[in-house]
Order: sequence, then structure tokens, then C-alpha cells
Amino acid sequence: MSTLVTVLRLPRGPDPNGRGFDPNSTRFVALCPTTISASTETWTDSVEVGEEQRARSALRESFLRTLIAMTNKQVQFHMYERVEVEAKFGASDIDVLNFQVSELQTPIGVQKEALLRAKHRKMLLMTVYDADDPPIELPTDD
Amino acid sequence: LDFHRSPPKVSMAMRQTPLTCSGHTRPVVDLAFSGITPYGYFLISACKDGKPMLRQGDTGDWIGTFLGHKGAVWGATLNNEATKAATAAADFTAKVWDAVTGDEVLTLAHKHIVKSVNFTQDSSCLLTGGNDKIIRIYDLNKPEAEPQEITGHTSAIKKALWCNNDTQILSAADDKTVRLWDRNSTEVVKQLSFDMSVSSMEYIPDGEVLVITYGKTIAFYNALSLDMIKTVDAPASIHSASLHPDKDFFVAGGDDFKLYKFDYGTKEELESYKGHFGPVHCVRFSPDGELYASGSEDGTLRLWQTAVGKTYGLWKCVLPGEFSCLMTNN
Repeated sequence: MSTLVTVLRLPRGPDPNGRGFDPNSTRFVALCPTTISASTETWTDSVEVGEEQRARSALRESFLRTLIAMTNKQVQFHMYERVEVEAKFGASDIDVLNFQVSELQTPIGVQKEALLRAKHRKMLLMTVYDADDPPIELPTDD
Repeated sequence: LDFHRSPPKVSMAMRQTPLTCSGHTRPVVDLAFSGITPYGYFLISACKDGKPMLRQGDTGDWIGTFLGHKGAVWGATLNNEATKAATAAADFTAKVWDAVTGDEVLTLAHKHIVKSVNFTQDSSCLLTGGNDKIIRIYDLNKPEAEPQEITGHTSAIKKALWCNNDTQILSAADDKTVRLWDRNSTEVVKQLSFDMSVSSMEYIPDGEVLVITYGKTIAFYNALSLDMIKTVDAPASIHSASLHPDKDFFVAGGDDFKLYKFDYGTKEELESYKGHFGPVHCVRFSPDGELYASGSEDGTLRLWQTAVGKTYGLWKCVLPGEFSCLMTNN
């Protein structure tokens, strides 16, 4: 009489919501180059690491303040196929992949509330301006 | 069948419990392991659903999916360190990926379906082959440069592999030949001709062994001289075979959905396992030889233990009563 070998659990399957490659995995953290060179070379130099951390902190704060300042401002989104839409900026999600907007002006009408999705890894150009003083010439993405 | 050829020392028959890796939605047509890295070893699978996946090699746990191809992915490979991946697809491109972030790094346009991709040991060059019958060598440090081309095959190339310390190339094509090329002169050094199309090819650098399958046959050749070492016939048409790193076993799978395990020395069929619900398209031993992975028409990958009953990865040796587990290594 034979016994089935015991299995601790089944292999984990794909995440239906994402493509994986967890940035918090040990391998990712160890192998992924950061944009600031100090991180990859001089971990032993605590002064440089401290400076880098302060710089990162300042950049994060500046970014968050920019997002706050954009709230309720008129924004122009430059999208694929040279489509440009205007809306009132509400908020961004934590990954800056989705934007909550109001009064979205589209070629087929005005959407009171909308969620705009920015495709992963693609840059989405936004122009922020005063509603009373819109730009005359729109920048292109060439 | 004697289940105890590989030690367990306990006298209880253990039945193989394959681990099924789900996620693909179409047939899995190719798979490859990385080398052993500080983070373990990894497995990449090529699938007709166009979404190759990276998995942890010893558990089958999904790590990520490489998104970008617009057609079936026919070939996939990892470099030794599992930092880069390459894929070959029906969208007429080969792509190079960062295997840590999952980002696409390079797209190499071809003029027809690409079937095979292979890195050199130092990951500096990529070999591609496909339906346009041309072998190409891309310098990954100069990706905009035109690739070196090797012509000669008269039908679609199934597989192209670096060999002999990346100084030579082995290729198998639908023209029923396997050819050995010199990388610098791009000329044929030696050629093997068969009565039918070669279904798969595996190159083992340690010992310079070439494993070729065609029809029901698994054939072993010296990779440098292309002299035949031996052939073994299986009960069914075989699509893929793999030789264990210690060269004591080999496994094969094909049309009858089963995985077969043979003794390489005696050619004896040792075990066979049912499990897949479709033909087996690819099978490979892990770099440590502790398991082998199979990919099937049924859209799944399965991991099988080499020594059934041993504690490894997600498999646990559990025995009733007061007996303790006395598994030893080969």
C-alpha cells in the first residue's frame, strides 16, 4: 500500500490584479539599482546614507505638496492618440496610476466625476493652469 | 515498478505528488531554469497565451508575469543569475526583460515567428532562431547594431543553443537536421540528419552532452563531436526530455500525457506518472536535480520529485508512528 507524499501547501498562483515582481522581496531590494548612487555603493558611510535619506524625504514631501496644490485646479491631460481632455484635479492614488477628477470635458460630453488611469511605466503629461488664464498654445508630446 | 531505486531508506512505498502551477490559460510550450543564485533558482515558462511567467524554482510560487508580447510565446530562457529573461514569440519579436523588476528591456524585431532564445554564459549575447530559418546573434551591449546572421537551415528553426563555452552553436530545425556551427566563421562544423523532425534539444555543458528527441526516441550525443552515445525508446511519441545533472536519470514526456523516468546507465524505464491532461511539451530538471518541471497542452506546469518522498521545497516527508525520516542524499 502506497502513501501520497505530503505537500505543505500548493504553489502560489498569479495575482489577478498585478503583474507581480514584488518590490519588497529580498531579491528586488538587493538587486534593483536605485537612482541615487549613494544607495548602491556606500552603505557603510552613514553620513552619506543620512544625506540621501534627507534628500529622498525632501523630494517626497515636495511631491506630496505639489499634489495638494493641484487640488481643484484646472488640469489638461495629454493622452494617447493626441487626445486632450480638461478636468478639475481631485486626487491621485498612492502609485500615481489613477487620478480622480471632476467636470471632465471629453469630446462626447462632460463627465461630472471620473477616474483616469495612467498606464504603468508610461508618462502622462498634465498641464496645470488657472481657469481664468488658460494657455493659448497647447504643448505637444513630440 | 520499484519505487526505491533512489534512497529513501524506509520501506514504505511513496506515491509521487506533483505540484501543479496554474495561471497560464493556454498550452505551455517551453520552460527553462536559471542557475542556482543566492536567492534560489528560478523557472520561466513560455505559453501560447503570450504571457510568460517567472516562478520560484523549488516551490513553483509565481513571482511575476512578463507583459508585452502580442502573440504566443514559443520560447523562454533565463540567464544563469536569473537577472535577465528572454522570450521568443509569434509577434515576430524576441524580447529581453529585467527578471527582477519584470520590465521589458529590449525588443528585437524579426521577420517571422521567433521560436528560440538563449543567453551566453556571461549574458552579453543573445541567440535567436525561428521561422525565417536564420540564426541571429545579438550583442546586448550594442542592441542597435545589426545582429550577426547564420544561414543554412532550409526550414524553420526550433531551437538554437550556445555550446562549447559559447564558441559554437547547436541548432535543430524542421529540415530534420541538427547542425553545429562555429560562432566566428558562421560555418557548419558538423551536421546530423534524421528521418523525422527533431522535437526537442537540451544541451548539458558539464560533460558536453546533447539530448535530442524525435518520434519515440530519446537520443544522447557528444555535443562537441556529435557522436552518438546512446538512444532509448519510450512507449509513446516524446516531445521533450531532460538529463539529470548527475547523469543517472533522464525524464521524458510527450503525446500520452505521462512523464517517464529512465535510468541513464541501463536505459531501463523506472517510473511513469500520469497527471497532465494533455500532451507534455517540455520537461527540464532543476539545476540541483531535486525536481523536474513539465509543461503541457493543458496549460499547467507540474513539479515532480526526483527522489519521491524526500523533504524538499513544498514536499514534506511525514511518517506515522515512531519512525523518523531517514532520507539521505544520493
